[in-house]
Amino acid sequence: MTFLRVIQWVVWKDLISEMRSRETLSSMLFFALIVILVFSFSFAMDQDAAQQLIAGIIWVSFAFTGIIGLGKSFSAELQNDALEYLQMSPTPKGAIYLGKMLGNLLFMLVVEVMLFPLFVLFFNLNIVEEIGLLLLIFLLATLGLSAVGTLFSALTVQIRAREVMLPVLLLPLAIPVMIAAVESTRGALNAQPLTLYFHWIELLTIFDVIFTVVSFWLFELILDS
Amino acid sequence: MAIQTFHLSKSFGNYRIFEDLSFEIPTGECFALFGSNGAGKTTLLRILATLVRPTSGSFTVLGHDGVTEKESVRQVTMFLAHGSHLYDDLDAQENLRFAMAMRGQYPSHRALKVALDQVSLGAFSDMKTRNFSAGMKRRLALAKVILAQPQVLLLDEPYNALDEGGVQVTNQIIREVTQRAGMVFMTTHDREKAHLVAHRTGLLNRGLLTFSHTDQHPAHDIS
Repeated sequence: MTFLRVIQWVVWKDLISEMRSRETLSSMLFFALIVILVFSFSFAMDQDAAQQLIAGIIWVSFAFTGIIGLGKSFSAELQNDALEYLQMSPTPKGAIYLGKMLGNLLFMLVVEVMLFPLFVLFFNLNIVEEIGLLLLIFLLATLGLSAVGTLFSALTVQIRAREVMLPVLLLPLAIPVMIAAVESTRGALNAQPLTLYFHWIELLTIFDVIFTVVSFWLFELILDS
Repeated sequence: MAIQTFHLSKSFGNYRIFEDLSFEIPTGECFALFGSNGAGKTTLLRILATLVRPTSGSFTVLGHDGVTEKESVRQVTMFLAHGSHLYDDLDAQENLRFAMAMRGQYPSHRALKVALDQVSLGAFSDMKTRNFSAGMKRRLALAKVILAQPQVLLLDEPYNALDEGGVQVTNQIIREVTQRAGMVFMTTHDREKAHLVAHRTGLLNRGLLTFSHTDQHPAHDIS
């Protein structure tokens, strides 16, 4: 029970802080809007190329936007040495990890839900029939990014060059998630039969489980080191 | 015994902070540690708070091993450090509720109000701590101690940034902890204020710790 309450409190704290400062969401949205505008102008003349590349464009935008949010996730804990208090708290550190991870997942999903209609509009995508499946793919892939990203955000927060180190460490590990996300999104956007790309969705689910479980166990070591 | 250390040593690279510290502090005692800047006072405190590992040696807090039973030590200990451990975008009451939740404690609205009133922050309970002065942040940290009621209280420079009223509140809290058979270990440069509450004092100098009893609390007063 205490475990669940700690998760709730960490999510609550991050949401309240973000609602008041709007620091993370605004910087994520601003970056993502620029990316969409640049890509939409780049492919304005060649709609066929855009259709071929759109899944990759979507996930490049989502991943880099997510990294901005993940980078800010633990830097907020450095204010007034609040991270020290979490380290000393007698609560299960895994609960703190899950709270931070869910908060990051929520921020990333909010940004994705706000951005995706712009992709539909700018790249003239037909998503009506596959919208449910696309949302599931977004949820699974974002969960994978958030699971491993939260761990690396904690790992790099006390490093001087943390803005550089977070993507350098995170992106290579997130490549399997990115590839599976791009392939399954491409399948859904091109209205292919589900059997042709279902294995990518299965792969996303497996990565989510592995990343979440491993990060959950490693978090205490990282927080205590 | 509240704290026992056995041949405790700490080095950062080739720089030896202190070596072979063995001492005991009983329950019911307030111990004040003095020493010049860089003497290792804060490092010793951070080791006792389980934030830093000793290079060698061991210590126990209320019988729990400080290296292998960290979680048990953290259950009974509270550490007020240089940083206030507050979140600037939360108000005073929200900060207290979150801090207590991280210790598995869920105080009532009334208990929060009483704690805030006790540190003279009742009128600022809805104010974001971003707008608090350093002294107000210190007082809010003291409100956490009132709510958490730790058995072992570790204080790093507790009188910093506090006005006369804040010093009185701090000393009142220290007395309450020791009177309920808890233990307070503080580091400070302010000998005058520390002598008002400390039963024993120590001086950490060049890695060596020497003890003395205060005039206010001669040796036989220590329980």
